[in-house]
Amino acid sequence: MQAIKVKHPEVLAPAGTPEKLRIAIDYGADAVYIGGDAYGLRSRAGNFSFDEMKEGAEYAHQHNAKVYVAANIVAHEQNLAGAGEFYRQVRDAGIDAVIVSDPSLIETAITEAPGLKVHLSTQASATNYETLNFWQNEGLERVVLAREVGIDEIKEIRQHTDVQIEAFVHGAMCIGYSGRCVLSNHLSLRDANRGGCAQNCRWKYDLFDIPDNGQKRELLGHGPDGKLEEFSMSAVDMSMIEHIPDLVEAGVDSLKIEGRMKTVHYVSTVANVYSKAVRSYCEDPENYQLDPAWVDELWKVAQRELSTGFYYGTPDENFQLFGKRRRMPRYAFVGEVLAYDEVTKQVTVQQRNNFGVGDTIEFYGPNFAHHTQKVTDLFDDKDQAIERAPHAMQIVHFTCDAPVKPGDFVRANEEK
Amino acid sequence: MTELVTTVASLDQADQLLAAGADRLYLGEDYFGLRLPHSFERAELTQVVELAHQHGKKVTVAVNAIFHSDRIKKVAEYLRFLESINVDEISIGDPGAIYLLTKEQINLPYIYDASDLVTSSRQINFWAKHQASAAVLAREVPYEEMVPLAKVITIPVEVLVYGATVIHQSGRPLVTNYSNFVQEHLDQADRQRGLFISAPHHPETHYSIYEDINGTHIFANNDVDLMSVLPKLSELKLNRWKLDGLYADETKFVEIVKAFAKARDLMAQQALDDQQLAKLDEIVHDNQAPERGLDRGFFDIDPNEVK
Ligand code: SF4
Repeated sequence: MQAIKVKHPEVLAPAGTPEKLRIAIDYGADAVYIGGDAYGLRSRAGNFSFDEMKEGAEYAHQHNAKVYVAANIVAHEQNLAGAGEFYRQVRDAGIDAVIVSDPSLIETAITEAPGLKVHLSTQASATNYETLNFWQNEGLERVVLAREVGIDEIKEIRQHTDVQIEAFVHGAMCIGYSGRCVLSNHLSLRDANRGGCAQNCRWKYDLFDIPDNGQKRELLGHGPDGKLEEFSMSAVDMSMIEHIPDLVEAGVDSLKIEGRMKTVHYVSTVANVYSKAVRSYCEDPENYQLDPAWVDELWKVAQRELSTGFYYGTPDENFQLFGKRRRMPRYAFVGEVLAYDEVTKQVTVQQRNNFGVGDTIEFYGPNFAHHTQKVTDLFDDKDQAIERAPHAMQIVHFTCDAPVKPGDFVRANEEK
Repeated sequence: MTELVTTVASLDQADQLLAAGADRLYLGEDYFGLRLPHSFERAELTQVVELAHQHGKKVTVAVNAIFHSDRIKKVAEYLRFLESINVDEISIGDPGAIYLLTKEQINLPYIYDASDLVTSSRQINFWAKHQASAAVLAREVPYEEMVPLAKVITIPVEVLVYGATVIHQSGRPLVTNYSNFVQEHLDQADRQRGLFISAPHHPETHYSIYEDINGTHIFANNDVDLMSVLPKLSELKLNRWKLDGLYADETKFVEIVKAFAKARDLMAQQALDDQQLAKLDEIVHDNQAPERGLDRGFFDIDPNEVK
């Protein structure tokens, strides 16, 4: 019997730089989102110039992928001038859509850059189908749901609207409704809705009340380990790798990965895993099985514990960072493969982090290609034997038993 | 003409507020509205509407929650109810509710209120084009930004002149989650419990925090009090003033409303001087809960200071 195929949703990866854009696409992302100068929420994440956008879009289109520009600030009076011109330039650079949250900027994009597709950012906290209908009526192509929406709710939303649905599946999350948090404005004078968030939710707070005597009364408690636990509002990260079928069946059109500030190591790994999982499922849903190696792989780039966010109910205390941190596996990104010689079995690597003889390293490449290798010899670019490769961008070669490809990455477990 | 909009905590208080000079009462039910001093059942709500109308005053009902699928289904019916009891206006923060107004052909003006998100004239005018009757200006808009904004807006904006400012809404029960993790369990995390958090290295700060069916809400360190700068608002013709009694004592809140009403009246007669303003501000301070501070929020902040 022929396997029944299901519609393949897009895997949407973050790309903070032109290099990461190419890598995300090489590693299987169907689309990437990037930042544009003035209107993006990650003002500190590498933003793209219009030329870089154009090159990025060309690269993506050659590979059947799309590029979106996040322009999701909530504008104040002084941010309005120039918005129309910005959107026209983005459109003319060949960008496939802009991700916007401020209604005034949505209107500007639609009226002043006709032809440019617009997606509603998660910052606008869209949580129900009538809201999606409202935005579709405005001419939007897609709505990124609030992270507070559960799987069953997505199914219901899908039944009541045909606007495209994008949902976060991986990465760090706000503890509050995105857009409805100005802790940073008030505690740090940095506007969370204009890219300035100081992550104040992750701070450690005191918790108290003030009884009638006017004196502060501490209410902090002790964790299971007996240690004083300060009040905090820090969410663990999200990972939906174990629930790809649920997302696809619920009708999500685009699975979004958070992390425009994240490293090449993260972007390549996460794009690789999700695109592999989604492809496997869509090609043969009936016989799909989660490969534990995918989960392991994600843990290699995890910075915090992982959870399913709001997808299966309101998150309890286990979905927040309290008490002792679980120890994360720590992997360092150590290099990129430049060449491999099948005859001599020598791999040439450009170093990104110190490694050397005796280390166990792991090669990985697009399509989930993996090879683990113990480094038994090491030579510099003058063929001199060395013990370690300590210099950034240093070119070295060594024996690698299995064939690897130029562009593959190398990581090493730091816990020896 | 300046309009004083005040929250309502009870039918009794509604009566006193109207006598104190409130022009518009703001109230609602927690299921549909956010951060209200009291959750009014339909019967009670109807009484307040009738009372206000007897006094020739108006009522705005809060329908500004962020709706999930379970609740959006009940919004249309609620809106029809509000229409049937002749509510003058509703507040909306979720565009889904605007969509319903049109779809269901419900004839209710709305003020757009998305707490911190309405920050520019262009956005205000966007909602105006979508039939909003007014918009609630984010508290994070400083005076210097109000000046150019006020010149180009096509509908009135409402400015919070007194009360608590929300700075965070989470869908998670943040206090309960914390309390479940630690050994010392807190039995209550609602507004009445009076919980605060303070920022690291700033033990003097006191951000109110509570949970209800709309999640967890956190408020600015001090309540807003713009009494001393009312003439500046007036000059800009920002004449819809909101007083929020969420954290105020019922009776004392009426006194505060009286002070603002007095300022409004004197200003209308062009008889408000600095001395009187200072005196009225003193009344506000005298009636402020001792554990809560007052300041002008973002009003005086230089926009360039905000990163
Ligand atoms: S403080 Fe936390 S919840 Fe608020 S915007 Fe920043 S990251 Fe998000």
